[in-house]
Amino acid sequence: MTTLTTTSGSAAATRAPAAAPAPRRRRTLRGRHIPYLFLLPVILLFVGFKAYPVLYALVLSFTSNKGGVDTFVGFDNFARVFSDPLFGRALLNTVQILVIQVPVMLVIAVLLAVAFNSKLLKARAFLRVAYFVPIVMGLVAYGILFSALLSYNDGFLNFLLTSVGLPRVPWLADPNWAKVSIILALTWHYTGNNAVIYLAQLQSIPEELYEAAAMDGANRRQQFWNVTLPGLRPALVLTVILSTIGTLQLFDEPYVLTGGGPDNATLTIGMYLYNNAFKYFDFGYASAIGYVLTAIVAVLSVVQLLVLRRRAS
Amino acid sequence: MTSHFSRPRRWAARAGALALGAALAAGTLAGCSTSSGDDAGSKTITVWGWGDPVKGMKAAVPAFEKKHAGVTVKVQDVGNPAIWDKVTTGMAAGGSGLPDVIDVGADYMSNYLETFPDGFADLTPLGADKLEKNFPTGLWGGAQKADGHQYGIPFEVNTSLIFYRTDLFQQAGVDPASIDTWDQMLDAGKKIKAATGADLFAVDKAATQADAANFWQMLARQSESFFFDKKGDIDFTSKGSVDALEFMKKANDAGLIADVPQSQGTTSQAKGETPVALLPLASWAVSTFANDAPDMKGKWAVRTPPATDAGGLTAASAGGTYLAVTKASKNQQLAYDFVEFSMATLEGQQLVYDGGHLFPSFKPMWETDAFKADNDYFGINTNDLVMTALNQKTPPDYYTKDYAKALKAYDDAQTQVLVSGADPKKALADAAELLAGQTGRKIAKG
Repeated sequence: MTTLTTTSGSAAATRAPAAAPAPRRRRTLRGRHIPYLFLLPVILLFVGFKAYPVLYALVLSFTSNKGGVDTFVGFDNFARVFSDPLFGRALLNTVQILVIQVPVMLVIAVLLAVAFNSKLLKARAFLRVAYFVPIVMGLVAYGILFSALLSYNDGFLNFLLTSVGLPRVPWLADPNWAKVSIILALTWHYTGNNAVIYLAQLQSIPEELYEAAAMDGANRRQQFWNVTLPGLRPALVLTVILSTIGTLQLFDEPYVLTGGGPDNATLTIGMYLYNNAFKYFDFGYASAIGYVLTAIVAVLSVVQLLVLRRRAS
Repeated sequence: MTSHFSRPRRWAARAGALALGAALAAGTLAGCSTSSGDDAGSKTITVWGWGDPVKGMKAAVPAFEKKHAGVTVKVQDVGNPAIWDKVTTGMAAGGSGLPDVIDVGADYMSNYLETFPDGFADLTPLGADKLEKNFPTGLWGGAQKADGHQYGIPFEVNTSLIFYRTDLFQQAGVDPASIDTWDQMLDAGKKIKAATGADLFAVDKAATQADAANFWQMLARQSESFFFDKKGDIDFTSKGSVDALEFMKKANDAGLIADVPQSQGTTSQAKGETPVALLPLASWAVSTFANDAPDMKGKWAVRTPPATDAGGLTAASAGGTYLAVTKASKNQQLAYDFVEFSMATLEGQQLVYDGGHLFPSFKPMWETDAFKADNDYFGINTNDLVMTALNQKTPPDYYTKDYAKALKAYDDAQTQVLVSGADPKKALADAAELLAGQTGRKIAKG
């Protein structure tokens, strides 16, 4: 756009120098408007598919469907969220999964990224892709794969366990093991993604820092703690926050593997929201849950950001 | 000169952006109103269903199209349970994206009618008022609103049946004909387990899908209780409900229940790969054995369920489905005509039955010759068995709009009992409490 205005501007200047001031003002006006015209499609899409649904959900969260009519009920839905034992259960499950899964996954991802970055490693490209593939896998394929892996009688994991003489594990049928299964699946799904983010950050750490550290007599481990990890900090902050948000909104894994069961052991807030909206047709309550979840995510993200930033400085 | 030179460009830029914006807006709108049929006057009727009902409806399409020149009927297999998410989303969006006709499960019907009063078309003025006498009254009434208007025409009707392995009973030396009550069945199960290693029946113990409640529902219905009573109060704590779960706990503690996730289906049990003595299913399953387990012919037999107490009911309703016309349909009358032809005429019903082999609600079908014939797989007249069961005085099912919540609360209680060894009475009382909190309903006095 800028090119277009400048060309026509210079053309105008050469052809009619005397008449320049008036059209120039008009042109700047035009120049100011044209970016908005180009943004219009995105703005329309944003308003139609982001702002409208989000605001409509807010409106819905203050209503309840009574006899087919959406009736305004004030803060009833929010009051219900805070006194609902199942919401409490879902929140607790989500937090349990969060505090175990996110650190485990990120530690594995850092180690993987360091390995991927090592010059000693052969077939690096293949391994990087292999670990990244799960993120591309669709929900359904993922569900089928893990159902097959975790099946009690003929699952691959239980086959491995029984072949070394260990008992079968009820991966999906026992409340505690089901949580473990969700954590396994989550880790499998997202570790590669985080490793790739770390890898990109690792490659921006200047080689000289390692050389200098080596000159100062730092061994490999000291180099990792004092050069690699500090260098990774921006990526760490990013992934901690993204993973926390992702886990708080956890839905896919319980949806395809456990349906939130057994006995609500893997019921997450996302799953509970889905049940209320699409199984119980309680859209008002589901919207209220959505807004409470959003508030939790927002507060937690800000806290993390502040804590991690303070550590960094 | 200058302005003359630049104006067209400016206009071109504005016009281009406007056109783009308009196209996007139009695209958005078009995306919101994907209903069947292209223009007014186009005559395409789209039907959503799943599995066997789809096979049945497809069989009736050519004859219907012949009677209505220029009309095309598309019957689509959307899959179950995927269809409910799609229907719910469409209903919540005011009917956009929905087809003209939907096959709706009896358990979903009252929920849809209460939650989306404008979702389905009123079939009474379209001609449904003439049909009532041809259908079982309980099922017919399940698709009515309080004003007595009809919103669905019954498709299939189901009643619980017990399929059992004659070879396993024989090996254990138990005569299946001697079993009249569920307690006797439990004793038989112990003998069968000892003699053959086979479990008595299978349950999805972790309740990975809502259907895990099917066995309990059958037992509870045989004791004339269900999730809700006639007043809509929560019925979990009634004697029949508690006894049913107590029975399951007894069978589970005796090691007679195999744990089979619902998603695996029953095929491996029918084939004998997962050995079980009983497959407690319903009338719809009669036709599946010939396909699923042709090699097991002669080893499976079918009967009505034993009673809970001697002399009690040996039948339990197992739901059914309706064909409903959406209010968003542009061809409501034509859609209704297809529903009436396929559900409520002998000609259409014959085709639907031959295509899908589902037990018809349309009573005149029961009198036809096809229903007097023996079933090839089981060697007995299975239709007779179904009609005997349907003729018992089973109480109606009170689903209400909170059925899905009740089902979930029950499933969790069942998991607590079967997986964690909880006490059935306490688990059900807790579930009733939770459900009361969620729905504002009262708990019926047990």
